[in-house]
Parts: sequence; structure tokens; C-alpha cells
Amino acid sequence: MGTLTPGGSSNRNPGTPAADALAGKRFKKQGFWRTALQQRYLYLMSLPFVIWAFIFSYLPLWGWTMAFQDFKPAKGFFEQKWVGFEHFVELFSDDRFYLALRNTLAMSVMGLVVGFVVPIIFAVLLNELRGMIFKRFVQTVSYLPHFVSWVVVAGLVTKMLSTQGGAINDLLVGLHIINEPIQFMAKGEWFWYIVTASDVWKEMGWNTIIYLAAITGIDPELYEASRVDGASRYRQMWHITLPGIRTTISVLFIMQIGHLLQIGFEKQFLLGNNLVLEYSQVLELYALQYGLQMGRFSYGTAISIFNSVVSVILLFTVNGIFKRVSKESIM
Amino acid sequence: MGNKKVKWVAPVALASIVGLTACGGASSDNRSAEEVESGPISFSLFSADSNSNWVGMKDAVGAAITEKTGVTLDAEYAIGGDTQKVSLMVASGEYPDLIMPKGDTSKLVDAGALVDLTDLIEQYAPNIKKMYAEDMNRLKYSKEDQSIYIIPTYTGVGQTTFDAGGGFELQLEVLKELGYPEIRTLEDFEKAIKEYYEKNPTINGQPTIPLSLNADDWKMMIGVTNPAFLATGLPDNGEFAINPDTYESQLHYKRPEEKEYFRWLNKMYNEGLLDKETFTQKSDQYLAKISSGRVLGTINQEWDYSEAENALKGSSDPTTQNRIYGHFPVTLNEQYKDHSFMDVGFPGGYGIGLTTNLSDAEQIRAIKFLDFLASDEGQVLVQWGVEGDHYNVEDGKRVIPQEIQDRKTNDNVAFTKETGIGMYTTMSPHYGDGVKDETGNYYTTNFPEQIQNAYTQPEKDALKQYNATTWKDLFPQADELGTSAWGAAYNLPAPNDSSYTVSFQKSQDIVRKRIPEAILAPADQFDTIYDGMLEELNADDILEMEKIFSQQIKDTVELWGTGK
Repeated sequence: MGTLTPGGSSNRNPGTPAADALAGKRFKKQGFWRTALQQRYLYLMSLPFVIWAFIFSYLPLWGWTMAFQDFKPAKGFFEQKWVGFEHFVELFSDDRFYLALRNTLAMSVMGLVVGFVVPIIFAVLLNELRGMIFKRFVQTVSYLPHFVSWVVVAGLVTKMLSTQGGAINDLLVGLHIINEPIQFMAKGEWFWYIVTASDVWKEMGWNTIIYLAAITGIDPELYEASRVDGASRYRQMWHITLPGIRTTISVLFIMQIGHLLQIGFEKQFLLGNNLVLEYSQVLELYALQYGLQMGRFSYGTAISIFNSVVSVILLFTVNGIFKRVSKESIM
Repeated sequence: MGNKKVKWVAPVALASIVGLTACGGASSDNRSAEEVESGPISFSLFSADSNSNWVGMKDAVGAAITEKTGVTLDAEYAIGGDTQKVSLMVASGEYPDLIMPKGDTSKLVDAGALVDLTDLIEQYAPNIKKMYAEDMNRLKYSKEDQSIYIIPTYTGVGQTTFDAGGGFELQLEVLKELGYPEIRTLEDFEKAIKEYYEKNPTINGQPTIPLSLNADDWKMMIGVTNPAFLATGLPDNGEFAINPDTYESQLHYKRPEEKEYFRWLNKMYNEGLLDKETFTQKSDQYLAKISSGRVLGTINQEWDYSEAENALKGSSDPTTQNRIYGHFPVTLNEQYKDHSFMDVGFPGGYGIGLTTNLSDAEQIRAIKFLDFLASDEGQVLVQWGVEGDHYNVEDGKRVIPQEIQDRKTNDNVAFTKETGIGMYTTMSPHYGDGVKDETGNYYTTNFPEQIQNAYTQPEKDALKQYNATTWKDLFPQADELGTSAWGAAYNLPAPNDSSYTVSFQKSQDIVRKRIPEAILAPADQFDTIYDGMLEELNADDILEMEKIFSQQIKDTVELWGTGK
């Protein structure tokens, strides 16, 4: 009889949107505490999650103090030596840091551009397919690589690009486009492209899913109406499908920007080798090698603070721009 | 039982779940006093080396150890060359009971995580005490802190090596076809490869690879940079060349003669003899090539490629069986001698330690456990296995039955997993090859006759042609190479102040990038690139790093009392 669902009886609890709006108005008049008392069950229900977020997301920020100390493990907080911004000064005067930053940003931006354009085009094209079975088949095949580990992907890519029996070189030589196999993996300047291309291969299908889902949410009447008005398929794509998923695109884009500096390091670590070090070193790898592996916890923390601060700034900037330009934002 | 009550339940339950999970990690394992003293006990162990054969002491030797000592080890082995695990332990303050940290000892010492073993050994470990009797000084941590934190278990006490696993490697098939020529200099080595390659451009239908090296990540030190000092007459001191009189140290690549070695690699590359993929291939690709039998020569240590070689040994085709490698003391020219077998004394170094995670009583139990492994009984168990199953005693001599030896040679992985022989050696304080126990038997299974027994037929045939019984016979012997006052520098704990570690890492980044670049360059650009690298390596902070290292060597010599 519905008694087991808390908050289910809507006439006693202000749970519906309409009631929320009402509560919002009352909030101003009656003050915070009164509203809190009225909505005590809602507050109580959200409490575990607030505690959760506090413990796991805010409490660890305390560790940032490490960046301003000469942190030695196993010593108490008050026994640590405070050094101010020394680690940041060192960080900003290290050439390797700028190299890592350049590589991170380059691969990140390339990945962002390609990683958005390709899945969107793919989703729109897939949506135009008529044969349901064929469509499903293509979709499944294209997102399967997402579940393959980077270790395996790196092995595949290296093998494909190998000079000894690698498929790409064999093909190019066979077609007489080149005379001698190219050492793809030894060319630093190609490394970014190789990483981006393998990333597209691996994640394209997976990233398409969310756009396809958004497309199904578009009202079919719009298409019917446009057809009546004589719109071609390209017109429909351009004027109905793409605007229909614009919100999804903006939201995902803004969130991606926030992760611009956090691109992980598996790809670079697994595909890279000593020859392409100047192009494969990324920030997280730098933090690992020059921070954690050497036991320089303070230095590693300084890098991570830099990361976080830049990410937050980027996120707010882009969010602000979007808010102003397209009225779409996530905050 | 209205709505009201139910509404309360969910949030409260959730809150308490969160609360419980938050407190969950704090409980510690409390062992009763009795259990600690003699009952069955489990110790956790971390090793910075990987070990894919570990089956949780369910193997024969492991079961026997547990039966004797009551100790079960809950071991975790690092994956690959994992160096962050120990750092993470230090950061979190959560340690295993026993630890084998390899090069990361100093991080643990700085964090106060290791137990000083000096008194424990004195009181509770007669076997360990006996074993290191003369070398106790070499166990001490440093001149300032003379505690013993680590019992060196990676090297055997009194070790005499009976076989060569390093040097320059050539396929036995190449030697056979060329009539077993003398291989002494780079020129000989190159000539052999070239001649065979011209006659056999393909092997089993695939293109022949004249020379391939493993340069994946840190293996580049083993396969590319270490051979440079070996070929120019220096012993292995890690990345340094140490002056035996003044103990002044410099990065070894700075020596002009090593530049000539790399110039040779450059020449090999430009002549198409050095595998073009040498610097881009991963370890597994390298091993796949070796096991295909297409690689005529390599420059490496046997432990790195033995896995691939085992595949060749197990083949049914006699030619393929002959595609395994012989070892040669190749140098730049006749003027140099390969120093692989220099007598460095007991080098100390990597080993096993106890952490503060153990209570006082548990520490005693753990040291007794290690002492058992160091006892004659423990040694024989770890090295030989269980009597009756893995070896027999005939006329007072330990003998390994032929079928066991065959499995050990040809089916090593399964054999190790099943019996555990060889798996506990690196965690046991142990005697080295060539040391005999009270019964007149060798402690280890590596002694001249046993080594010769373990060779496959093609190896025996090839060695016969060189009038040798083991590969080591071809190398300069210890008595002509002098001694080292500091042991082997790669085995010493690295200085842990960050001005050293950061500059060292920087120097390694430079070397790992520039040396491949120089080798892969057109011949006329080699000098420019190599000299450019030397200039980068003469930066102030790197020179400073070399000074810190020199000081470390001086301190070690003083601590050990081995100076002149």
C-alpha cells in the first residue's frame, strides 16, 4: 500500500517541483530555520551524502598543507618544517614541468576536439540508418573497444605500426606510397597523433551512446513537420538533430574542459618509449616520477594543487562563457 | 505502524552505514601471546620484485617451511619495476610485517618503519650470526646510522659464480656454421653476425634479425648502457665509474672509451645490422623475437631473456634447439678485460627487513623464522627441496634424480610453482654457490658438475669446441681482476636527499633519450649528439650529484673498514 516509500505521500511532504517552488517563496519570508524544520526529513535524508562528500572530497584537502612543508612521513603535523612556496618555486622553474604541461595540453586539446567531433558525426549518421539490425550491429562493434584495456590497445597499436610485418607499413609499401617502412613509434612529433588516433578508435563508439540517447529524445513530430515542409535529410540533421542535442553537447563539453589537465597517463606510459620522451611526458607521469617515486610527497602535492587550481579556473571560465553565449551551463 | 516511523528508518540506517564504513579500517590484528610465541602465525610480506610463480606457500617447500616454523607468509609481489608501492606505504604509514624493498630502503628508514635487527640477531638468530660472521659490518646501514635494517638476501654469502649469464650473446647455430671462431672483440662479434646474416637472410621463412637489444624502460640500462662499461673493462657499479684509488665517481657514459662503444652500435645500426625496432619495442616484443630463433646476437643478461630461451630449448627441432645463446667476454679491443667476475667480496645490498608493524614478541618470532631459513636444514630445504621427493642422499652426497633435473631444465615454471624450489632463496639469508655444509655437500644446487648437467646438448657441444666446461671458463677469472673496496655500487643504498635523487633522475632522463638518439643518427651526426649529451650531463646539479655519490662511496669504505 505504498507505505514503504519514504516521502511518497506527496500531500504531506513538499516533494514535488510545485511544492518546492512554493517552499522557495516561503523560505524568504519565514527564514531558514523554519523551512529547515518543515523539511526536516528531506534534510535528514541528504545528510549522509553531505557527510560522505565532506569526508571523501573535502577532508583530504587538508593534505594540501603538505605542499607548503618539507614533508617527512611518520612525523606529526606540528613537527613538519614549513617552507612556504618553495616547492612551487621549484616547480615553476623546472623546464621538465613546462614540457610536461605542453604535452598534456596538446594531447588533451587534440583529444577534446577530435573526441567531440567524431562521436557526434557518428551518432548523427547512425541515427539516419534505417536497418535496425545493421544499426545495432555497427553500434555494438564500435563501442566494444572501450572495454579493451589500454595495455592491450597499446600492444595492438605498436604491432600495427611495426616496421617488421606491421599492417600499416605493409599496406603503404604494398601500395608503393613509401619505399621503406616508416618507424612510426620512433618519431616524437607523431606521438601526439598516434595517441589521439588510438583514443578515437577506442572511445568513439562509447562516446556515441550518450548522443544517440539524446537524439531519441527529440520529438519525432519535428521531423514529420519538416518533411512536410520539404526539408531534405541534411536539412533535418542540421536544423533538428544537431540543435536537439545541443544541450547535451554543451554540458559534456564543459565537464570535459574541467578535466583538461587530467588526461591520465596510461596511454602515454604504454605507447611511449625513451625516444619520444619529449613528447610523451605528461603532468601525471611527471608527478609520479619526480614526486611519488622519489618520496617527494610535498613536491607531488604542489603539482596536484596546480592541477586542481587550473582545472577549477578553466571550468568556471568556460561555464561563464557558455552561460553568456548560449544560456546553457552546468552551474 | 504509520508512515512516520518508516520515514525515519532509511536515513538513520544510511547514516549508520556511513559511520560504520568510516571506522572500519581502524581495527588491528591482535594476536594472543601464545600464538605469537609458537602457534601458527601469518606474516604479511611485500617484495619490490615481481614473482609470477607465487602460489601462497602451497608448494612443497612452502608447506615444509610452514610445518617446521608454523609461519605462513601472505606475500604481495610488485608488478614490473614498481617503485611507487613503497612510497605509498610510507605515505600511508601502513606496512607489511616483512618487507623486501630493494632500492627503497632509505625511504623506509627515513620514515622510521624498519626495525633495527642488531640485537635481535645477536640474541635470537645464531644461524644468521654465523652466516655473516665476518661481514656484519657490511650489513650496517650507513656511517651515521650503524643499525642493521636489512638482511641481504639477494646475494649469497661466500658466493662463487660458476657460470656466466652476461657478456655478449651469439646463437650456437651461428657459431656452428662458422666453425666456432674466437669471439673476443667487438670486431669478432660483428664479423660472426655479418657472415652468418649474409648466408642466411631468412630463418624459417622470416627475415633474420642480426642483432637486437632490449631497451624497454629501465631494461635499457641492462641491454644498452651497462654493456658499454663491460666492453671497456669496468666492473658493474650501476651508473657510475668509480676511481679505485680516490673513490671519485662520475657517470660512466662520460668516459671517452664508452663513446666508442656507442659509436660501434651506431655503425651497426647504419649498416642495418642492429634491429631498427631496438628502441621502440617493448620487452615482450623483444622476447617474442628471441623465441622465434631469428635473432643472431644480443647483448643482455640471461635472466632477462631466459624465458624466451626456454621456449627454444623445449622445441623438438634440433636446429631450433641450437638457436640458444653462448656468452662471450667481448670488449672494445684486446686491451680491455671483461670485469664480470671481479671479486667484490660480500656485496651486501638488497634483502629483507622487519617493520614496526610487528610487536616486540612478533619481531622475535619473525627473526626466528628467518633464522630457520638460514639454518642448514632451512638452506637445504629452500635450495634442494624435500628429501626423497626432489633429491636423494646417496653415499652421503645429495643427488638430484635425472627426471627431476629434466623437469627443472625444460619445464621450469610449472616445476617452480609445484615444488617452490628456488622461490624462497631471495627471502632467505643464504650461502652462495660453492659453499659446502658440514656434510661436505654444496648448499646450493649450482656447482660445477650440476651446472654442466643442466646444460642442454647443443650447449655442451659448443662448449666442447671452445675447450671449456662452462661459459665462465671463457671469461677472465677473478684472480686477474683485483678486488673492490666498496663491493658493487649498484647494491648500495642510494643517497636519499632530494638534491641527489632529482639530479640523478634528470641525468637518467637525458641519457635514456640522447643515447638512443645518437645510436640511431647518421654516422656523421653521432659526435654532435653525443657531445651534446655530455654537455647536458656536465650541468652543475649533476656534477654536484656525482660528488654526493663519491662521498657515499668513501663513507662505505670507511664503514666497512676495507680502505687502503
